Amino acid sequence: MAEAVTATGVVLDPARPESWSDQGFEALYDISWRDCLEAQAEALRLRFQKMSGQLPAMDKLASKEGITKIDGIEDALPLMFDHRVFKNYPLSLIETRNIPKLHAWLGRLTTHDLSGMDLDGLPTIEAWLDRLDQFGMIVTTSSGTTGKLSFIPRSRTEYPAWERSYMLALHASLGVDPYTDKIETFSPSYRGGHQTALKVQMMFNIFAAGGAEHYHTLYHTHMSADLMSLAGRMQAAEDRGELDRLGLDPALLSARQEMIELARRRPQDLADWFEALFEGYRGKRVKISGLGGDLLRTAIDGSSKGIKPTFAPGSIAFYGGGLKGFKHDLPDWEAYVCEFFGMERLGTCYGMSEVISQSPRCSLGNYHIMPMVVPVLFDADMNPLPRESSQTGRFGFFDLLAQTYWGGFISGDEVTIHWEEDCACGWKQPFVGPAISRYADKDGGDDKITCAGTAKAYDDFLSFVSEG
Amino acid sequence: MSATYEIPIVSRGRVIRPTEDDSVIFNGRGGAEFLAPDPHRHVHDLILGNPVLLTDLMDTPISQIIEFLVEVGKRLRLEDNSFFQESFELGLLAGGLSEPILRSIYERLPAMFDGAVLRDRVEQTIGSAFLDGWVPLESFEGRHRIRAVGTRQLHITAGNVPVVAATTIIGGALTKSDILIKLPSNDPLTASAIARTMIELDASHPVTRHIAVAYWKGGDEAMEQQIVRTTRIDKITAWGGMSSVKHIQKFLHPGLDLIALNPKFSISLIGAEALESEAALDEAATGIAVMSGLMNQTACVNTRLVYVECGEDDDSLARLEDLGRRIAAAYKTLPSFFSTPADAPSLELEAELESAAMENDFYTVIGNTVDGGVIISRFPDRVDFYEQLNNRVVNLVPVADLFDAIKWCNDTTQNVGIYPESLRDRVIGPFALAGVQQFVPLSGGDPAGVYQEFNTNPAGLPHDGIEPMRRSVRWVIDHRPAKGQTARSAIAAQ
Repeated sequence: MAEAVTATGVVLDPARPESWSDQGFEALYDISWRDCLEAQAEALRLRFQKMSGQLPAMDKLASKEGITKIDGIEDALPLMFDHRVFKNYPLSLIETRNIPKLHAWLGRLTTHDLSGMDLDGLPTIEAWLDRLDQFGMIVTTSSGTTGKLSFIPRSRTEYPAWERSYMLALHASLGVDPYTDKIETFSPSYRGGHQTALKVQMMFNIFAAGGAEHYHTLYHTHMSADLMSLAGRMQAAEDRGELDRLGLDPALLSARQEMIELARRRPQDLADWFEALFEGYRGKRVKISGLGGDLLRTAIDGSSKGIKPTFAPGSIAFYGGGLKGFKHDLPDWEAYVCEFFGMERLGTCYGMSEVISQSPRCSLGNYHIMPMVVPVLFDADMNPLPRESSQTGRFGFFDLLAQTYWGGFISGDEVTIHWEEDCACGWKQPFVGPAISRYADKDGGDDKITCAGTAKAYDDFLSFVSEG
Repeated sequence: MSATYEIPIVSRGRVIRPTEDDSVIFNGRGGAEFLAPDPHRHVHDLILGNPVLLTDLMDTPISQIIEFLVEVGKRLRLEDNSFFQESFELGLLAGGLSEPILRSIYERLPAMFDGAVLRDRVEQTIGSAFLDGWVPLESFEGRHRIRAVGTRQLHITAGNVPVVAATTIIGGALTKSDILIKLPSNDPLTASAIARTMIELDASHPVTRHIAVAYWKGGDEAMEQQIVRTTRIDKITAWGGMSSVKHIQKFLHPGLDLIALNPKFSISLIGAEALESEAALDEAATGIAVMSGLMNQTACVNTRLVYVECGEDDDSLARLEDLGRRIAAAYKTLPSFFSTPADAPSLELEAELESAAMENDFYTVIGNTVDGGVIISRFPDRVDFYEQLNNRVVNLVPVADLFDAIKWCNDTTQNVGIYPESLRDRVIGPFALAGVQQFVPLSGGDPAGVYQEFNTNPAGLPHDGIEPMRRSVRWVIDHRPAKGQTARSAIAAQ
């Protein structure tokens, strides 16, 4: 199939979805998803064809489902990975730092041959991920509700399109083009790490800020993947007085102590850091980028102390990660944050670690999906819902920017997708919103009580009682 | 399609049914709707504000209470008790048990009201003498006398097996206490059915007069704030851990005794001998299948994890898989009155099994969530999703030394199946200290026989590591003066 050219002149070459975003978000939002469907289906067919036989994890699923070729998006639905695939390794591999087995497992998720990578002298997961970076991979980690780390097997092959789609999403949600308009950027977080948000910030925000000296973080250290993945087990071992028996790298144990200390100091550090920012950058244009909860906490604390930031007009803020359980009783927390920081609006996106192209929020609060992502909604029985009117269900997608791993994925999010492209903001393409909820948060709300249960329930109980 | 079931409030001998201007509809489970009187309007029908009103029960001898319960038990027959028929029907819809299993549990409920069983339950725990009167201690000329006094109890009951409803009502009566039962959505009528049977038998009996049963949505703050007060409730028995107590927790304060029957799960310990002969493999497989399969793995007594003394080499793992295949085969031989294939697959768990099956370096998966299944770890750790094991699916975990499994035990670990018996004396001490609550035998080889052994429990056993009966009463001391003191005070009074 030749290049698809839409009525408005947008070119969607099915052989190179990574080039689609070169035309800018305005062009992509100017066309209907219906005009993209053919190119998307063809792109998906080509991806499958190219990866077949190269990607053991996908091959196994395809052979189980009896799929040898894809002629349309519907054909590919059984091939969507569920959230388990990127963390489908035994946790004990992490605890025992069995890097060779973990490495072999990761190798089955990517078309890159990882067998040539030297695995000597890797005491930690962090060191393994560092070396994977040197080898040409850009693996990011994500910890879901269970705390177990997912490893998203991206690589330098994905990098150019990843960068462009990120910049596009920033541009679309903030109205500022990061390629041409560099802004001093502040992020109340770690300097980096392999966790998706941190790695993305490190890779792209420094560029958007105009260089490392213009990118300011609360901490200069990196967040350790080992500590993230082992926090639960280390705490359990410490409770038993057996932390030394886990056989962990001493450096990791001291890093843990530092992290506990850091966590204890963090509210104060955060307040001090923001106050210095407010003082040092009065009248200057800044971009603040952080977790929604941190921005809100700062606004509430700052207001109570009578602090009022006075940045230059055109200052912007971007948040991710929602409020993460930060409790408040404000009817409109975003308006409160904007008011405090003196900004017109907050930019944000809908996305997750498993998808490259994030969906920016429009001026009316909806998240428009770019055509590099093919969204699919499922009902409770995992049947696809029709692409018409508004539908609510489980969000799945094919990420056409995934070039070296399989981009079909079913998320744990329940969303509403509006297929009629009737958002008054003027952007087309299917949009999500405004509410997004996680299926995992819905469990246990039905008043059903049983005597069977587990340590997790017990721990929840304990933490609840102790928080009392 | 939704069916509407009437859930009346049972209030101390009266049945309050929903009426046109006093009703609310709750969304129940399994497509059922519950139509009930508005509980907010009946708080005073539910609670016993004045504890001295328990005098009638206090003055009723245990023997008479047992006589009454025995009569009640005789009427709890599914074939001719319309309340029971209705609660059975709704239980099938709202609960998680298949028809033959729920039927057999209902058929065995009357046996819980057997006179000898009830007497044992009292005598093995509190002792009727302490309930019927003041019992003098031997020291100090018997001047100190003790009595077990009834209390006002709120029970947030579990609904996965209707046994909980019966045991709660019996426990209330035998502790001469006033009980308020908050019905669970997964068994919304069994407790009401028993209480209404009592009303039919004798609405004015002191036991009947001290039972209230109602449904309200867990977490209804206006409701729970009214009820959970030290002036109205002395003890709360909460099954189900977080899901039942998270709402009432904010109303707890000193003076209110919370008896938390936390959710539990059970495990098995299998010695190396089990893999050494055909006969041993079969016997162990049958024991494990019964312990995980009874009541279709909906209860805390079901083994979900099975730790097997076994190496990690290919030969050893092949034998472990052999055990796994025999367990899966044994599920098919279990009598339907205690174990059946699931009515529907468990989608989440099925996805976990499929996902594990993709990684055959790490796991071997046999069976599924309808017929029952086994997931064999090929390294010494349980699956990360062990909390979701259900629908008769167990995880076999090879461990070099069974004591390695201690690190996975705590006080949420309820029963421990043991095979072979030669293990028992070696393991029970350390595992008891680690938090487990009961050791049970897996030997025998015959499904019905192993199951029978599981049900061979004397009355009055501890539960969840405590003695709920003794915990549910208030132990009161009557300290009398020495004989000489009595004389002097008499003189002083003159």
